[in-house]
Amino acid sequence: MELSAPLTVNWTLSYACNFNCRHCYSRGQTRDELGLGDVMKIVDELADCRVAFVNFGGGEPLIYPHLFEVATHATSRGLKVSMNTNGWKLDAEAAGKIAKAGFRSVGVSIDGATAEVHDHFRSRPGSFEMALKALENLRDAGVDSTVSAVIFRDNVAQYKQIVEQAAERGVSTVYLHNFKCSGRGMENREALDLKPDEWKAFYEDALKYREDAPAKLAFDDPIIALLGEAEGGAVKGSTCGKLSLHLEPDGDTTPCGFIPLSVGNILTDGLKAIWKDSDVLQKMRNKEPKGKCVGCDAYSECLGGCTARALAVTGSFEEPDPHCWKSDGTESA
Amino acid sequence: MGKTERKLERNPELVWRDEPDARQSIVEGLEAGEDVAGRGWVIIVDSGTIHQLNLLAGEIWMLCDGTLDETGIGEKLAETFDAPVGEIVEDVREFVNECLEKGWLQIKEA
Ligand code: SF4
Ligand code: SF4
Repeated sequence: MELSAPLTVNWTLSYACNFNCRHCYSRGQTRDELGLGDVMKIVDELADCRVAFVNFGGGEPLIYPHLFEVATHATSRGLKVSMNTNGWKLDAEAAGKIAKAGFRSVGVSIDGATAEVHDHFRSRPGSFEMALKALENLRDAGVDSTVSAVIFRDNVAQYKQIVEQAAERGVSTVYLHNFKCSGRGMENREALDLKPDEWKAFYEDALKYREDAPAKLAFDDPIIALLGEAEGGAVKGSTCGKLSLHLEPDGDTTPCGFIPLSVGNILTDGLKAIWKDSDVLQKMRNKEPKGKCVGCDAYSECLGGCTARALAVTGSFEEPDPHCWKSDGTESA
Repeated sequence: MGKTERKLERNPELVWRDEPDARQSIVEGLEAGEDVAGRGWVIIVDSGTIHQLNLLAGEIWMLCDGTLDETGIGEKLAETFDAPVGEIVEDVREFVNECLEKGWLQIKEA
């Protein structure tokens, strides 16, 4: 089914950030930022189009000066609001404001089970302790929390500890994100990213672990279809452009935060028109298999894997995901 | 009104959205004799997974607004689809039971 509008909008209100992470897709990006009036207009547009979920990302949402006004307006219009934060500024006072603004959940990024790994990855000493403390502050304020961990070379051996530490702090879901090759992630790809057969080993282990894990585990990686483990549901392959859209600070829209292609501006073009008419989105929804995807048994579920990663590494939406380990999958793309 | 008198309502915590354009295209497909069984027009988000409801399930879903029981829903749909009430009520029961089990629907408190 082609939807009339996205179900989820991932919204970068600002690229300003107090961190400088080694995998960040957005570091180095700058965009004009809209005034509060236009931001509120966008909230109304999202609500009018019956978008269900808005997730603020970034940049660091907690340093955006109008975050709570925008979130309060969004929840009052019936949107389910969440955000992803590095947790540095999430003290007890901020947790109270988050609860008051009606956030449905808050995701804290934790990329290591030790300060050594996390702080190095995030290039910020003390950030591991602050992230754990943020989870505790959320729990104390009664806000549902999740953890996002980007899996990479230095933390793959300790992902279970990340899950355990999160569960101890009341976290409901841990997202084990596959490494994206955009922005600084692309620059640091050689040093940080796993090889296809290492991804395979990780997923085999994690899918087994998921059965008894102390928190719910979520993977946003379509190539796990290759292990017969499709997430199920009505949408196959990457969800970007089919269920979700990314909003830039100036109102431009891109299929996802990892695909730097503007498909229109929400203020001038309108959300429904962008969603329906964009050639890029149409192309993403109607991918044609290429290379080893042709004839792959998992294609109907996987649809070639992560579109962002394929585009970043090969320059084409339709090429096989460079993380895919199928047959010749160990070659470097 | 039916004998069972269990008025059905959607779980207010559940995120869902109907898609009128998709419904229209299914109805047109049906009229053109296409197989529309697998085509959906209502989406439901449950634990991060997206489900879609086909034409009849979507119609039932939309009528679960807390004012009707299974028979009442069946009667309304029998009118819309010009079909025997008995058969439709059976379909309604089956779908409703499935949704009650999943927690998507609930019986409205009197
Ligand atoms: S990954 Fe997040 S915390 Fe790190 S620099 Fe980027 S926006 Fe900031
Ligand atoms: S070959 Fe293509 S379709 Fe098959 S698992 Fe790999 S990326 Fe997915």
